Amino acid sequence: MASTKLYTIIFVVLAALTTVQAWVEISGFLDQSYWLAFGILGVVASVKALMVAGYFQHLRSEPRSITYVYAAGLMAALALTVAAAYSIT
Amino acid sequence: MPDDNNGDDGSVPSGERDASPESRADGGEVTDGGHAVREELPAGDEHGHDFPSMGTVKRWLVTTNHKDVGILYTVTSLFFLVFGGLLALLFRLELTTASGSFLTGTAYNQAVTAHGLLMVFFFLSPFAFGFANYFVPLQLGAKDLAFPRLNALSYWLYLLAGGLFGLSFLQGSTFAGGWTMYAPLNLPMYLPEGVGSTTAVMAMIMFVISVTVSSVNFLTTMHRMRAEGMRIRDMPLFSMSILLTVWMMLFAFAALLAALIILASDHILGTTYFAATEGGSLLWAHLFWFFGHPEVYIVFFPALGMMAEVFQTFTGRRIVGRKWFIAAMTLVALQSFVVWMHHMFLTSINLEIKTLFMATTIGISLPFDLMVFALIYTMIKGRIRFTTPFLFAFGALLLFIVGGITGVFLGAVVLDYEFRGTYWVVAHFHYVMVGGAMAMFGALYYWYPKMTGKMYDEFLGKAHFALSFVGFNLLYFPQFVAWETPRRVYNYQPEFVTWHQLSTVGAFVFGLSFLLMFYNFYKSYHHGEDAGDAPWKYASSAEWAIPSPPSLENFPGVPSYKGGSLSFLSEEEVHGAAAADGGPAHGHATGDAHAGGHDDHASYWPLLSSVAVFVLFVGLAGTNGGGTVYTATAALGGLALLGTAAGWVVESFHVSEPELASRWPFDGVENTKLGVWIFLASDVVVFGAFVGSYIFIRVAEGWQNWHHLLPADHVVLPGLINTYLLLASSFSIVLAMVAAEKKSRAGVVAGLVTTLVLGIGFLINKGIEWSHFFHIHSEHFPEGWTFGTNVASSTFYLTTGMHGLHVTLGLLVLLWMIPRAWRGAYTSTEDGDKPLEYFGLYWHFVDIVWLFLFPLFYIL
Ligand code: HEM
Ligand SMILES: [Cu+2]
Repeated sequence: MASTKLYTIIFVVLAALTTVQAWVEISGFLDQSYWLAFGILGVVASVKALMVAGYFQHLRSEPRSITYVYAAGLMAALALTVAAAYSIT
Repeated sequence: MPDDNNGDDGSVPSGERDASPESRADGGEVTDGGHAVREELPAGDEHGHDFPSMGTVKRWLVTTNHKDVGILYTVTSLFFLVFGGLLALLFRLELTTASGSFLTGTAYNQAVTAHGLLMVFFFLSPFAFGFANYFVPLQLGAKDLAFPRLNALSYWLYLLAGGLFGLSFLQGSTFAGGWTMYAPLNLPMYLPEGVGSTTAVMAMIMFVISVTVSSVNFLTTMHRMRAEGMRIRDMPLFSMSILLTVWMMLFAFAALLAALIILASDHILGTTYFAATEGGSLLWAHLFWFFGHPEVYIVFFPALGMMAEVFQTFTGRRIVGRKWFIAAMTLVALQSFVVWMHHMFLTSINLEIKTLFMATTIGISLPFDLMVFALIYTMIKGRIRFTTPFLFAFGALLLFIVGGITGVFLGAVVLDYEFRGTYWVVAHFHYVMVGGAMAMFGALYYWYPKMTGKMYDEFLGKAHFALSFVGFNLLYFPQFVAWETPRRVYNYQPEFVTWHQLSTVGAFVFGLSFLLMFYNFYKSYHHGEDAGDAPWKYASSAEWAIPSPPSLENFPGVPSYKGGSLSFLSEEEVHGAAAADGGPAHGHATGDAHAGGHDDHASYWPLLSSVAVFVLFVGLAGTNGGGTVYTATAALGGLALLGTAAGWVVESFHVSEPELASRWPFDGVENTKLGVWIFLASDVVVFGAFVGSYIFIRVAEGWQNWHHLLPADHVVLPGLINTYLLLASSFSIVLAMVAAEKKSRAGVVAGLVTTLVLGIGFLINKGIEWSHFFHIHSEHFPEGWTFGTNVASSTFYLTTGMHGLHVTLGLLVLLWMIPRAWRGAYTSTEDGDKPLEYFGLYWHFVDIVWLFLFPLFYIL
């Protein structure tokens, strides 16, 4: 079990990253170069999710197999989303 | 004997076990009974003692025992077989003429639709799961499933979902859009008037909830409660097939759940997903078939496993290439998630993806070939005894070969252009699915002696096989010949009339043959010979090493395969061994200190909660168009559900985790935590499908064209605030956990209250935002921006609404937990903080979902 201090740091980072995401829109960056901003937002969201999963859900200290189960669900959802979106003519 | 062959050498039910590692006299310090008992447990109360006997009605209403539940599933599924079968006879009669005779129009459509839904969902899978409930724990050496009350809940939800479906017939008309429920024909404007169609959709949702609960339960059980020494690959093939089936179920049904919730929302709230001109109907096809293709294996795998067991027993031979057989099944289970678009070759998907899915489809038929050959070689190498179960299994193999070959035709894009929408498809899938059912009937004969203790009548059994096999082929083979008949309509080309009349005759022969089966089972139950413990020579899985029927606690001791074959250990030996192994990791977290203590087997709450869900769903189905009676019913059901949920958690229900077990690959967690995780994994797919639907519709619409569908006031700020709130609430839960570890009661309460307040803040903020959008009067949206305004509003409200529902449920749990925390529930005992942890896992998951919804719905 990690310490309160570590958890606090993580929370602060999460909040800061959220602010960055909002800033991407508010600053007009999104309008300027949409797809670059899109990429950044996606990466930031994923990083945040990984932090919550890794530390708050403490997947880091669970057996790896639990992570695989979680990831399997994610893979299934991604397969559906990507293939379906790609299939559109 | 190869060591991956657990029982083919015959199991040795003996209490002895060499080299017992008696390093500890008594596992005192492992389980040291007395601590970690749930607080409300009335002292000295043993529920097990007043468990009613099998002759009483009460027993069947309260039982949570896996064998009882198995019997309930079996009997109920056979009821739905008859229900669906009668509907089929009705429309087969209609089809004796080439144009409408007596069942025309909506009656025909309803009969065909309900037949498909009932057979696929309410008969095939539950029939398989009757056996799974009864025999998987026996084959693994477990006393019961991991969560017996949830198991009973699955059953009652299933039964009452069937009841809800039945009710829909009485509400004017049931769903009439085909079992695949293709859009847009699944929408109110194309369906018969009345509430019935929506009720049928709600029935399907209820059924899927039941399936999800079951999947979590079976996965936890099968991964963590196998007898010592039984590795996954050592499991008997039936259990193996069930394990793979439940993994597929977990993810596939999650996609169906999302699809059905969206459909219900289109019906009830008036969202416009499937009516969307850009891609609405394609979206349904994707969601449905992403579920649907795995589903065809979900119904077929258990049958395959049963075939393998029956083949092994009646050829007296281990299946040829067992390892490869298992590998092939595993491969198919994985591949089943990447072939779904072969059901969509005639939609507007692009040619590249069609080609890709044609390739994956051809790929998936290869492992099937391997399995078929393994079964054939097993027969060649063994010495066959032609009993009823074998005949059925063998017949099923032949039917599957025909069905499989005709399926490969359909998998080829160009051929499917011809075959799609014809009776070729109908004949194909009946050969495979009803072929699978034939294998399961064989299994019913095979296991009947174990379940009842009585032997069935062999002559009648064989007669049933002969009649049903002839009837089957007479029923479905002509459909290949007359394949150009269009499917799902009641009139067809007159030149096929003879074939269809033959088919109808076959249907009656097939249907009536089941009278023999029911009569046989009825008669044998009352007058049959005693079967004895092991009526089948060479049958070797563990269920044959115990009495027929088995006792409530299944085994005379604790099963173990450590010595290479089955033996039963005494309590002392177990304690010794468990201590030597270091004991179960976090083993007694659920408050089950003494493994030897009496487990509970009775609870009313599964039944009562299911009734509450039933009432809730009856009401919900009618809230749009049914009048205030329905709304009131929904409210009543909702309240009842809250009440029963409370009753459920208050009830003290003791279930022990086995001290000694094979738990790969989840050694390091306890059952409940694993259950929570598995559930969350399926929820990932539910939300994934929601987000995927949004992305799909938006891509179809043109990703960047989207903004003109949004009101100008749709800005980042409310989403940003809510993100902060949710992150903070996740943090406060973590702080509560930390406080619990330090045994600080005040800290826990403070953490939970903070979470509650932040969560409420989240909902209030959302409420303000929503009501603002609802009442907008802008140039583009003079009537407000509501559920049905456009696809953007639909996806926005439903996706974030589903998330909001998760938040609300979490808050309800918190309302429950806070007073308990105040009373010290999470701080006074060693493992008392476990519920906090489980809640945290859920809450953080809800948080993570939002982390993706925020950019998708508020920024991009
Ligand atoms: C052995 C390999 C198999 C192949 C290559 C295959 C291929 C196909 C294809 C391409 C279709 C779509 C036909 C169309 O709608 O035009 C189809 C339909 C279907 N298959 Fe199979 N199949 C196979 C095995 C199975 C099995 C084992 C089952 C179930 C036990 C099954 C059940 C179904 C069902 C239910 C449909 C009809 C869906 C509908 O209502 O439209 N198939 N099959
Ligand atoms: Cu398929």
